[in-house]
Amino acid sequence: MLLHWDKLGWWRWVLLAVTILTAVFLLLPILFIAALSFGSSQWLIFPPPSWTLRWYDELFADPSWLDAAWTSFKIAVVVALLSVLIGTLAAFGLVRGRFRGREALKAFFLTPMILPVVVLAVALYAFYLRVGLDGTVTGFVLAHLVVALPFSILSIGTALEGFDKSIEDAAVLCGATPLEAVLRVTLPAIASGLFSAAIFSFLASWDEVVLAIFMASPSLQTLPVKIWGTLRQDLTPVVAAVSTLLIALTLVLMLLVSLARRFAKSS
Amino acid sequence: MPQATALVGPSRGQRRTSLLLALPALSLLIVFFALPVLALLLRSVLEPAPGFSNYVTLLGSSTYSRILVNTFTVSAVVTVVTLLIGFPTAWALALMPPIWSRLVFGVLLLSMWTNLLTRTYAWMVLLQRTGVINRTLIDLGIIDQPLPLVNNLTGVTIGMTYIMLPFVILPLYGVIRRIDPAILQAAALCGATRAQAFRRVLLPLVMPGIAVGGLMVFVMSLGYFVTPALLGGTANMMLAELIAQFVQSLVNWGMGGAAALVLLSVTLSLYTLQLRLFGTSGLGGR
Repeated sequence: MLLHWDKLGWWRWVLLAVTILTAVFLLLPILFIAALSFGSSQWLIFPPPSWTLRWYDELFADPSWLDAAWTSFKIAVVVALLSVLIGTLAAFGLVRGRFRGREALKAFFLTPMILPVVVLAVALYAFYLRVGLDGTVTGFVLAHLVVALPFSILSIGTALEGFDKSIEDAAVLCGATPLEAVLRVTLPAIASGLFSAAIFSFLASWDEVVLAIFMASPSLQTLPVKIWGTLRQDLTPVVAAVSTLLIALTLVLMLLVSLARRFAKSS
Repeated sequence: MPQATALVGPSRGQRRTSLLLALPALSLLIVFFALPVLALLLRSVLEPAPGFSNYVTLLGSSTYSRILVNTFTVSAVVTVVTLLIGFPTAWALALMPPIWSRLVFGVLLLSMWTNLLTRTYAWMVLLQRTGVINRTLIDLGIIDQPLPLVNNLTGVTIGMTYIMLPFVILPLYGVIRRIDPAILQAAALCGATRAQAFRRVLLPLVMPGIAVGGLMVFVMSLGYFVTPALLGGTANMMLAELIAQFVQSLVNWGMGGAAALVLLSVTLSLYTLQLRLFGTSGLGGR
């Protein structure tokens, strides 16, 4: 009775009310920021006295925002590519390999996910100061790769576990070399896993702020560092404009991932 | 012959290939993760002089112990509140017609995927003195003066609850979906009232989900940096911020390393506990 929607009695209305409130709680701040980005009030008064595109104009007129966004984009693309490449190799090793210590290795590969990022940030900062990687694009890429890689290994590993290896073996029996079989049979079959890995890795880098605060220099900062620095001074509506663009990007990426999943199911 | 190896199991050569495939990832994580973290922790007992003086200062001073207490209190409150909101939500999501639940899941994922700074910024604006919440409360005549909702632990707790909520809803939803409804029908047939069935049947079955989700939120909250730093202000620091401050403003690597070790050991021991109790790391989502 407690697990049938129609037999819950008045409990159903309580659950429904909590769920609606939760959804509103989760959605409202996002809609609110999007609305304020078009509002004319400097102090973010809501509802805004009138509507304007002024904050978007200010945003696009300031090259430091565009520079930061471009830096973030470059770093995130390189991180996504490397993360999928290294992650695919590692996932094959972990899923196909039968060696001692495999479970331990798997656990080690996933630790960056549970470790508080601030610890990694401080540790890498010390290391970078010593080897001269602080304030460099390479430093950013490597730091972000550490946090992106577990997502790649997880999603590619899951896809690979769901793939029937006998199909690959069949290709080998038909005369393909093992490498050909992997490249032309297995990888296309797990394409949606590779795609999610790429998107997750891209986002892990694109949105990452804690490592970035420690890696950044005055001449090299990512978009989250720029937002962070701005917010430490004031709550300017320009940040609302940036945020709205980021929310739009999130929606696009969510759509892409769900399309990829649908495509994987139908094929 | 590759055919033969596929049938008789891994040869030594295959085993070496598997390890070789994992090598790039392994070396990256050793050089840019394991060794730097170990080096940082070592500095806590080596700087300024070998010994445990950093730990004595950290755990002995009232300033630092207040930060530790703040961190644990906020994390505990956030955990309890997210569970109280998250459990009924996950329960409803597991039962309601798919058309509705898909809509709520869409909102949940949008919120989870939206940039963390964006979400925190939204709460900074909502909670400020002249923000919507204060103005609405004043307009309704509930309060005369704006409530201090930001730059204090109230703000941190609200913001963190917002961010952590999906992390309890998703595992709880998974657990509730896997429960066989027939068990609860059996309870009803045996004459249990709704309240009895809830307390004696449903709740024990959902407990693993509550433990996994709750522990995950608690641990993540302990080490959270961005949201507490922006919503809490400098007077209400939490542990992650303290670590950053030791290193960035005070350039005291010994103390930074000691605080990092405290955070790290609490985090890892709670995760180990969870693995022991439930055999799952609760990893998932972003």
